[in-house]
Amino acid sequence: MAIDCVNIEVITKSKKQADEATRESEQRYKRLLASVTDYVYSVMVEDGLAVATTHGPGCEAVTGYASEEFETDQTLWYEMIHEEDRPAVLEQATRILRGEEPPPLEHRIIHKNGTERWIRNTTVPRKDAQGRLAAYDGLVYDITERKQAEGRLTRAHAELKTNEEALKRTLEELKGANQQLKETQLQLIQAARLESVGTLAAGVAHEVKNPLQTILMGLDYLVPNCPADNENIAIVLSDMRDAVKRANTIIRGLLQLSAATDFEMKAGDLNASVQRALRLVKAQVIASKVSVIRKLDPHLPRVRIDSGRIEQVFINLFINAVQAMSPGGVLTITTRSGRLGDNLTISETASRPFHRGDHLVMAQVQDTGTGIPPANLVKVFDPFFTTKPVGTGTGLGLSVVKNILDLHGGSIDIQNSAAGGVVVILVLRAEPEERLGSVQGT
Amino acid sequence: MKTEKKRILVVDDEPSITRVLKLNLEQTNNYTVRAENDAQTAVAAAQEFKPHLILLDVMMPGLDGGELASRFQAITELKSVPIVFLTATATKGEVYARGGQVGGLPFLAKPVEISEVIACLRQHLRS
Repeated sequence: MAIDCVNIEVITKSKKQADEATRESEQRYKRLLASVTDYVYSVMVEDGLAVATTHGPGCEAVTGYASEEFETDQTLWYEMIHEEDRPAVLEQATRILRGEEPPPLEHRIIHKNGTERWIRNTTVPRKDAQGRLAAYDGLVYDITERKQAEGRLTRAHAELKTNEEALKRTLEELKGANQQLKETQLQLIQAARLESVGTLAAGVAHEVKNPLQTILMGLDYLVPNCPADNENIAIVLSDMRDAVKRANTIIRGLLQLSAATDFEMKAGDLNASVQRALRLVKAQVIASKVSVIRKLDPHLPRVRIDSGRIEQVFINLFINAVQAMSPGGVLTITTRSGRLGDNLTISETASRPFHRGDHLVMAQVQDTGTGIPPANLVKVFDPFFTTKPVGTGTGLGLSVVKNILDLHGGSIDIQNSAAGGVVVILVLRAEPEERLGSVQGT
Repeated sequence: MKTEKKRILVVDDEPSITRVLKLNLEQTNNYTVRAENDAQTAVAAAQEFKPHLILLDVMMPGLDGGELASRFQAITELKSVPIVFLTATATKGEVYARGGQVGGLPFLAKPVEISEVIACLRQHLRS
């Protein structure tokens, strides 16, 4: 019996010690929970349904509500959830009640003081010996500061992105403006060069035309007065008259070349310029027995041009084409428009003044002549370069054409066609529609 | 019946031009030509010569053709005398483009053949 007494004493002592250890552990746990702003809640489950919820002591720091308030009002936990986040919280609860282990959920709650808070809710299931869900615990962290920091970061990032985009746009605009400036500068240099050439040409023209006038009228006087029996005198006088006409043609070409700076730019129809130029060279076309094919786009956008100068361009090109062809030849004029690089492809030379995506209008003049020897292709725009027989060409026609196109901010390219003959491509910028609108509106 | 020769005053600072114009026109026996190479004395010459028509160069030293034309037109007895400009500063294309008129007056672009000059004189002497 003494042994039993001793055993009972030992057992009682051990139980006491164990109870004390448990009490101490619980107190430590409570102190720990009370010391943190985060808290734990427990949900008791019966037959898959939540039947009771208890909220740990830290809940007041996070939600503003005391544990007792949650106990008194069993729907308070749901009502404090931000309205927009309630479906996600219910989904999390449903999943855990189904026995799943859903990932932690971050959502908003409305603090008792009315402010919005962010929490991270991590749930851990508790199962009985049969593996059924008996309860689950939830650990709630207050992540408001982190979320606010994230928000600030996101806003700062968005702002940075907006600034970066604005910077990129500004950079693009600057690049565009710089390019435009360069083009304008080139046009100004070209115009200044032409103006000085023009001033010189006008002076030369005046000085040369007066002597030509004397010679021409001198010939007019001599021809009826020369001895009828001397045929050579008549031939020499005739040659002199031809020489005067040739010299005058050169002077005229120089004046045209120089007059290219004096432009009257308006929104115009390139097709109309083609048609008018064709009417003006009709006589040469008929005399040369060549036929004309027009492939003119009826929906061609308008272009900013000096119509008279552009007609002069077409006249020069048509005459060149007609003179290059034998009877039976075909002169084909095509016009079309498009966005460079998208639905319009032109040679590198012709696309030089433009950028990808520019809205352009193009005219193509093609003949069926013998073409231009490759060595001469690079010289065709040089003043006084001609392959025509002496006396029939001044060599200024294509120089005039190129200068006119340059001063329109356009381009020209001359190539031999694979099918034979020459293809000339003229490219001009389409008039922006808003500008047309404002012009029409004024 | 012999028709009266028309008096033409030619004003141009280039003596070679006025000389060949005079020779060409006078050999038709239809015109009497007075050549003037100095614009400053041209008004007095016109008042004395009483031309039926004046052929006038545009660019001349001292006094240009346009100004001289205004002076002619300011004088009562010369007011109705037709004036035709001769100019080296325009091309034939420009003459056609402007309908042969500059400042409301007809003009011919140098170098011009005598046949064109005569056709122009006939046209303006008739009207």
